[in-house]
Amino acid sequence: MSGREFFTHRYERIGWKYRNVEPKQAIRVNLINARKAADVVTRLQSLGVQLEKVPFLENGYWICKSEFSVGSTTEYLLGLYSIQDAAAQIPASLFTETEDKTVLDACAAPGGKTVQLADLMRNTGAIVGLDVKRERMVALSNQLERCRVKNAITCLLDARNASRLNLGFDQVLLDMPCSGSFTMDRNWFNRRTIEDVERNAASQREILTEAVKVVRDGGEIVYSTCSLEPEEDEFNVDWAVRNLGLRVEEVNCYGHEGLTEAFDKRLDNSIENCRRIWPGQTQGFFVCKLRRSRAHD
Amino acid sequence: MIETINSFVSRFGTSIRLDKNSLLKKQNRYFLVDENLKRLVSKDFFHAGIYLGKTENGEFIPSSGLLQMVAEGKANKVVVDEKTEWLFICGRDIFRQGVIRVQGSRRKGDYTLVLNRHRECLGFGKILFDLSREREGVVIENIFDIGDFLRRER
Repeated sequence: MSGREFFTHRYERIGWKYRNVEPKQAIRVNLINARKAADVVTRLQSLGVQLEKVPFLENGYWICKSEFSVGSTTEYLLGLYSIQDAAAQIPASLFTETEDKTVLDACAAPGGKTVQLADLMRNTGAIVGLDVKRERMVALSNQLERCRVKNAITCLLDARNASRLNLGFDQVLLDMPCSGSFTMDRNWFNRRTIEDVERNAASQREILTEAVKVVRDGGEIVYSTCSLEPEEDEFNVDWAVRNLGLRVEEVNCYGHEGLTEAFDKRLDNSIENCRRIWPGQTQGFFVCKLRRSRAHD
Repeated sequence: MIETINSFVSRFGTSIRLDKNSLLKKQNRYFLVDENLKRLVSKDFFHAGIYLGKTENGEFIPSSGLLQMVAEGKANKVVVDEKTEWLFICGRDIFRQGVIRVQGSRRKGDYTLVLNRHRECLGFGKILFDLSREREGVVIENIFDIGDFLRRER
């Protein structure tokens, strides 16, 4: 089962009418390197770049117009900002109090969110970033170097084996490898099948299970995907609530409430605390914050 | 390993203070870690803390972070104008008229850091002609610049 008609019919069944969209390019100012976001904005404006503040982000700006790639300016090369989809800037921002914490970024490459975590942590504490492919680790290292991240360690390790590190984490970011969506891949409808989606969802459940082993009692896990498919989003979170002793925390961020019912499946009411972002100005996205119960809870 | 880095830094007529117990080497790459990271790092790490640079064919290639650390102290440096900044990060050499200010050595054959008007380090180069003298044309050869981030991922 695959194809445009198959998937767009599914979206309609869960409340979104398919339309082709062109997400706006966005940047995030790295305050570990720039004194103020306004300074970076002024510098880009002086180069002729038109920017607009993303209303739901602290340091995010949409690129409205630029005659050149914003990925080749001195300011970019100096790590004053990163290019990062607006929705993708949400997950790291959901953690409470990140400074001095020990954080696992379980699927870290190419590093946009790792850099954002370092920024939020003001380069304090420690981030352990994992990924499975050597070439992706190189890209991750380049990002960390460019953005002058000082508090990260990276390891070539599958997130499904994170407990081999023998470390406990206060916070875990699970920005899952997922099926993606048509917004980032013009051929998505031709490439993807529901079997791919189910296979990815199963692998995500394995990563979630491992994350619970390494997060401390009372610790936070932020789960995100850029997939629109409920199997990789609400269904997996519902499974985690029922099987892993996690609870979904309320979050105050952009997006629609998570689905509590989809494809004849009734989910835990707390799933409405998740956020589903349908494609538009941003790519399609799903995010939620989970908390592991304390031992005495 | 500290000697490799100290020797590189001395090219700019300065030194930086590095605690040898905070340095890690992974194959040909060097990293600086604080006590907190050191506690967590395992022998299988890929990247840790501040990347300082690597040795390749017997030569030390610095990271942009190390160059910025050196630039924050008293070191040979030139400040260049906006047009020169752009050309330099595209890998080009520096013309005399693009140099706004010189600090430290002006001598032919010495190495100098290259900074923009915001005092941000863009890379380094080798002085080809005495910078005290009036001269048209290229005066600093580009050895390394931050445009390398774009070139290395091609």
